[in-house]
Amino acid sequence: MAWLSRQFSTRVIVLIPIAIAINIVLGYTVQTILKLPIYLDSIGTILVGVLAGPIAGALTGILSNLIWQYAPVIGGGTIGPFAITAGVIGFLAGIWGQLGVYRSRPATGRQLILFSVVAAVLVVALVVPILGNPAYTNPDIGGYPDWVYTAAVVIAIVAAVAVAAFIYLRRDLAGFWVAIAGVVTGVAAAFVSAPIAAIAFGGVTGSGTDLLVAALRQGGSDVMSASLGQGLFSDPIDKTITSFVVFIILGGLSGRLLARFPLGERLVRDRAA
Amino acid sequence: MRPERGLDPSVANREGAAAGLPAYVLRVPTGTYRSLNPFTKSVIALSSAIVAFGVRGWTGPLIVLALTAAIAAIAGVTRSLRRFVLATIPIVVSILLVNAFLYPGATDVLFTVGPFAATGTGVTVALQATLRVVAFALSVAVFSLTTATDDFLADLEHRGTGRRLTFVVGSAIGMIPAMASRATEIVEAQRARGLDTEGSIRRRIRGIVPLAGPMVFGALSEVEERTVALEARGFSAPARRTVMRILPDSGLQRALRWFVGLGSIVAVAASIAGRFPLP
Repeated sequence: MAWLSRQFSTRVIVLIPIAIAINIVLGYTVQTILKLPIYLDSIGTILVGVLAGPIAGALTGILSNLIWQYAPVIGGGTIGPFAITAGVIGFLAGIWGQLGVYRSRPATGRQLILFSVVAAVLVVALVVPILGNPAYTNPDIGGYPDWVYTAAVVIAIVAAVAVAAFIYLRRDLAGFWVAIAGVVTGVAAAFVSAPIAAIAFGGVTGSGTDLLVAALRQGGSDVMSASLGQGLFSDPIDKTITSFVVFIILGGLSGRLLARFPLGERLVRDRAA
Repeated sequence: MRPERGLDPSVANREGAAAGLPAYVLRVPTGTYRSLNPFTKSVIALSSAIVAFGVRGWTGPLIVLALTAAIAAIAGVTRSLRRFVLATIPIVVSILLVNAFLYPGATDVLFTVGPFAATGTGVTVALQATLRVVAFALSVAVFSLTTATDDFLADLEHRGTGRRLTFVVGSAIGMIPAMASRATEIVEAQRARGLDTEGSIRRRIRGIVPLAGPMVFGALSEVEERTVALEARGFSAPARRTVMRILPDSGLQRALRWFVGLGSIVAVAASIAGRFPLP
């Protein structure tokens, strides 16, 4: 119980509604102003998870989607049932927070180069089992059309280079863990979202990523594996970008402010300033 | 800036003016459906959502849609529902196209457009999914249009929900319009400094941090003040807060809640178990 109540200090209770508003408004802004094919609607959720813990993170995610569905003026659409996905994302973020994933880890020299290279290799390696999953390669069940395969390889290489560059240029090993946290969160989100999309919405989500669902169906996938294939493609990208955005934001906040949150100590341990 | 409430402000003003009180103090619910207890309306919305998604085939979504339309007509919010119907268009188009033309394993071709063939099975699945989505979205929309957020939260707190949860929900809903107008300011400010919102994907991805950064930093700077303000007002005190505004409830409504709530669960269970094969 102490573990639970520590996650809900007054400061966290104040942070959660702000995080919910950030999720909704930023998600909406990125999709309509920048017109990017990513959701970016979990920055607040991950922020609360990292600062307060898994239960607070899960609650933020669930409430974000329910309020988004319900709220007067901005509400409507079909986001509500995906509250379960958002809850899982927040819960995982809480675990990353407890593990201190988002803590800055300054490094130099050989160690820095080693981690950059390993991170790049890992990012590519993480994409291979997703592409190699029999649900998509087995011609009896499905199979990616060629352009999806090529796009995935290109994106994996770009991501690998970006992550390696991030680690090397910022001289910070945290980039390695932040990328892994993002990818794992994305894969988990995909597995939770796919049945929701398949059962509630005929396998689509109403965004640009539905092109991918169509392509997978064209390739012969069934409803469920087409949704899963789409999720495994877009969610890791989305959550990795979100993960890095959260890391950059946390890096810009003062240690004094961070340390006041339940898991703040784990974010500032090695900070000089 | 306050969010739009469930009640038409002109009506509230008229009622309030009659009693000599401003609308935000005295918000008299008008009409039969609006004056139901918020908890009753929320149970109806939730049960509708469960039936729309849980009872497969045509029957579930159609019943919910008919019921929701009837409630909307009684409550007089049919016109406001149009916006919520419009909000479902992207997903409905997607559902119709993807399922009608690319439903896995369907062979009963109706017609072909270029290389794509629309199948009977696919069209059936697509129309059922469309009905489910629209029925669900509208049942929540009717609840949101007929219930003032603060009424709903006051009632929940009266029923025993913790003040932390009601604060989180109420505060989040109240903060969204303020945050949205701040987002607009940030977008305009960054555009003035050369943010590219029309260029290539690479350029637009570079816009994420300039947009997210100021928004998040700005919002987080309020955390400290709000925390102090709440603490100073005894937010973390152990005792329960007394709810001063108790919304009318009745035995009839309680019976209705149990009937609708349990009924929807039984209907879904029976549908999944295949007890009553509905079209």
